[in-house]
Amino acid sequence: MSRYIDRFNATDRIVHWVVAISFFLLLLSGLGLFAHTFFGYFTLFGSPQQGILVHKWAGPVFFFASLLLFLRHAGDTIHFDADDRRWIAKFGGYLSRQRQEIPQDKFNAGQKLFGIFAIIAALVMGATGLIIWDPTAYGRGLTQFALMLHGLFFTLFMVGMVVHVYLATIGNPGTLEGMLWGRVTKGWAKKHASKWYQKIVKG
Amino acid sequence: MKRKAFLIDTTLCTACRSCQVACKQWNKLDAEASVNSGSYENPPDLTPQLYNKIHFIEQQEEGEDLRWLFINRRCMHCADAGCVKVCPSAGALYHTKEGLVAYNQEKCIECHYCVNGCPFDVPRYDEKKKVTKCHACSDRIQNGLLPACVKACPTQTLKFGDRDELIAAARGAGKKLYGEQDLGGLGVLYVLDDQPGTYQLPKNPAIPASIFFWKDVVKPLGILGFWGAIGVAALHYVTVGPKQVEDSDDLENKGGE
Repeated sequence: MSRYIDRFNATDRIVHWVVAISFFLLLLSGLGLFAHTFFGYFTLFGSPQQGILVHKWAGPVFFFASLLLFLRHAGDTIHFDADDRRWIAKFGGYLSRQRQEIPQDKFNAGQKLFGIFAIIAALVMGATGLIIWDPTAYGRGLTQFALMLHGLFFTLFMVGMVVHVYLATIGNPGTLEGMLWGRVTKGWAKKHASKWYQKIVKG
Repeated sequence: MKRKAFLIDTTLCTACRSCQVACKQWNKLDAEASVNSGSYENPPDLTPQLYNKIHFIEQQEEGEDLRWLFINRRCMHCADAGCVKVCPSAGALYHTKEGLVAYNQEKCIECHYCVNGCPFDVPRYDEKKKVTKCHACSDRIQNGLLPACVKACPTQTLKFGDRDELIAAARGAGKKLYGEQDLGGLGVLYVLDDQPGTYQLPKNPAIPASIFFWKDVVKPLGILGFWGAIGVAALHYVTVGPKQVEDSDDLENKGGE
């Protein structure tokens, strides 16, 4: 009997990594526009104009891949039950070394919240990005507001991403494997997603 | 160096437009075809080829004579300049040592953000997609000359010089100035014959609130948030530690966090 069970199929993984790569391209090419403190990041792209071009190409890729990623997992992310509420109340047990048994489905409540935040943020970034694509095409008030929202959600998204990357890698060993080649150990599944594990085992 | 400024006494302006023409000549700006819009004002707005212009305010109430007010419109050379604040490319838009806002087109990255950062809707983009606007003839000033518009003004509507001296002189003559304190003090001070709104000037010019929020709130919070999140993650790792999958997880059928 195998030690592993399948968690994400190849399509899930590819869509996720398209989102991830375009996110980091957007981050690096956008920093120089966010504030002149970070203007030096444009050198990664040859010139500021090329950086802006990369930003404009990566934007729609990120937007549509995020939408697809959300839709593929929406069934698992948009409802919260009593266990999820307990998970949120206890911060997922992350504040203590004590083992706390909070049965979770395929995604824990934190992942669900992050998934929902990410799609809202992607929609806001997409809509405001479209407005500031050509900063003189719309009214000044609207463009100024879009610049502010784009910056605000970038900030929130970046903080969320730091947390996401930490928890999905060294914070929870064994998690990254699920997104790299699709499978996790049964031990991981029992510990992190016991309700999901039971469903898979029972078929 | 002491801060320089323009003082524009609109009550002396005869709308001869010498300033408009002199600016075009010195800065080698092309003429543009325009259409008659039923006003003597021409062209109707600043363009990439027009750094300063006379705005005509033509008002007539029934039975009364036409009221004609003129104002020379241009970059206001704010001390706290919205365009400089939003410009991501250091040195593309900058304050000269005289306190005037000039630009270097070679550093302009064509993001157009300055258009939205300016409270007076001044910066324009030329056909090369680079920022253009009145730069107070910084090339002339640095060689001890007056800006071309001031040099050409026959009525002393336009004055240029030491900002404090201009203010003191205007005060001494009993004139009220627009822009003395706003945005750190404007580099273009007006003597107006009516309310600022009549001249399409904001009563209390300020950097747009959303631009202020972006640059002065979101940006520092973003830097703090990024390093804060990394710090919290590192702290979590060395205090609580990661959630290891333990041997027992492989045996028992319970748990899950």
